[in-house]
Amino acid sequence: MNKEFAKPEEYGLADLLCCAASREVQDNEIVFAGTGLPMVAIMLAQKTHAPNLKLIFEAGTLDGRPPEIPTSVGDARCEMGASRSSGLHDAFSIAQRGYVDLGFLGGAEVDQYGNVNTTCIGDYLNPELRLTGSGGNPDINSFARRTVFIMVHEKRRFTEQVSYITSPGWRVRNWPGGETVHRRELYGAAYRGGPSAVISTLGVFRFDEESGRIYLDTCHAGNTPEQIRDMCQFDLDVSRVSGETLPPTREELHYIHEVLDPEQIFIPKVKRG
Amino acid sequence: MSSGKRITLQQAAEIVTNGSSLTFSGFTIWRRPFALVYELIRQRKKGLHLIEVNGGPQTEFLVGAGCVDIWESCWVGHELYGKYGANLSRKVGNKEILVEDYSHAEMLFRFSAAASGAPYAVTQTSLGTDIHNPAYDTLGNAGLRDGRRIPRHKYRFTEDPFFGAGAQVMVPAAKVDVAILCVQQVGEEGTVRVNGQFYSDPEVARAADVTIVMAEEIVPEEYLRRESDQNTITSFEVDHILEVPFGAHPTGMFGRYDVDGAFLKDFYGRTRTQEGFDDFAKEWIHGLDHLGYLEKLGWPKMLNLKANTALKYSTGMKRGQ
Repeated sequence: MNKEFAKPEEYGLADLLCCAASREVQDNEIVFAGTGLPMVAIMLAQKTHAPNLKLIFEAGTLDGRPPEIPTSVGDARCEMGASRSSGLHDAFSIAQRGYVDLGFLGGAEVDQYGNVNTTCIGDYLNPELRLTGSGGNPDINSFARRTVFIMVHEKRRFTEQVSYITSPGWRVRNWPGGETVHRRELYGAAYRGGPSAVISTLGVFRFDEESGRIYLDTCHAGNTPEQIRDMCQFDLDVSRVSGETLPPTREELHYIHEVLDPEQIFIPKVKRG
Repeated sequence: MSSGKRITLQQAAEIVTNGSSLTFSGFTIWRRPFALVYELIRQRKKGLHLIEVNGGPQTEFLVGAGCVDIWESCWVGHELYGKYGANLSRKVGNKEILVEDYSHAEMLFRFSAAASGAPYAVTQTSLGTDIHNPAYDTLGNAGLRDGRRIPRHKYRFTEDPFFGAGAQVMVPAAKVDVAILCVQQVGEEGTVRVNGQFYSDPEVARAADVTIVMAEEIVPEEYLRRESDQNTITSFEVDHILEVPFGAHPTGMFGRYDVDGAFLKDFYGRTRTQEGFDDFAKEWIHGLDHLGYLEKLGWPKMLNLKANTALKYSTGMKRGQ
């Protein structure tokens, strides 16, 4: 299969995000899967560099091998070929027990310590907008060794302080007092790691585990570190940029569009001119 | 032997009195007891307290119809067919509903505790988040924590006294009056067989004081007892049963029919305002019974949603639309 990088006109932004997400998966890992683009990314990793990864779906499918992309975690496609079809108690107990290496998550807002909000915009007690709520976001983020967030990049979303900490980043609140502490101090024996990357529509960000602060790792083609820094409300560290985000390979594009998501449910095809 | 557990949709809805606490089977947009949710709306229930492992379209319908005063859960939306709960969001904005936020695992563990007769569960999830911000204890702020049905505290912290593993959060058992389940098969005496993922159905059925099971079909009890290892919920945990084919529509039922995405999308698009919701309810809920609803939906649509018996999903449906 052709592992050459595709030319810019051969792929779209969703392809680039999907491939960047896929490359976060390592072989033999146990991955907690949501639906949508992350699901395509995980199945892409399974087809390419991580054939032995294991999938857990939040609704209760364990070691799933869906033959085609499920549209929700209750989809019958999740269960086909799975080791077990069970329930939430199994899925969350397994996660709390420490089996999960990686989880993919989303968010409406993220701050410089990787705290994520999916609950409300504005004051919680008097919100401008109530969102979906936490779902399993804080649970996966508490239990997994690494989590990767995929987010639309808007300046208002990359915020100094999230309106509500739904999901714990590297520096969190120590209740009931509320002082900010490193998550290691709070989680004790349950500490396994935390957010490892944010893949936005502009670049890929990582975290310094000691300081807990976010930094820019790679820029997607067409964006400079300075432009991306201007798109964050906090002072983004751009001193560690390693280059440009690697484009999709022709092999990856083949799998995404011909095998995994031919119906373009999650990833639109780029029309070639 | 018949156990006399059979009731009608109208009788089932009458069991849920105004002010009851209520929970459901299923997961997001799958196996929600819609035929009964519609009947609750027709009977204009008031003051319901929903305690859900996760929410979904059933939350949005009941909240939009003004049946709900308190929603305790972690998530609401329609997945691919509507990214958030617009009715809940509107009522939160207007302060017409109280929302108590927990994490998904916390809600699950709360039901597991209730199902095993324990007063609380212990977990390490969500430490350091605003879910544990004491200022955000909605039911406490409203003065509703009576220590009877509503626990005295939203959560408590403790240190592991046995192995020194550090901070733990204790979350109260989810005590509910009524659980309404929607499954593939129930026997005459109440034995339930769920096909596919059973989500948190065993926990919610056991946690509730009264458990009502709505099934695609009521089958002979002996049929289910021939392979008892395939069964999901015990006969005597179920108080009432009713047969309601296509009862989960517009949500899906593993092996029977898929989620009606177009219906959910239409609901999501049309119910951003109260007027929009009322209009939708007039069209699809009021003045109809379950058969009338299915007739309105029509056979072509139902056949399109029907799952292939080998694959367990519909092969006729265009996905993602």
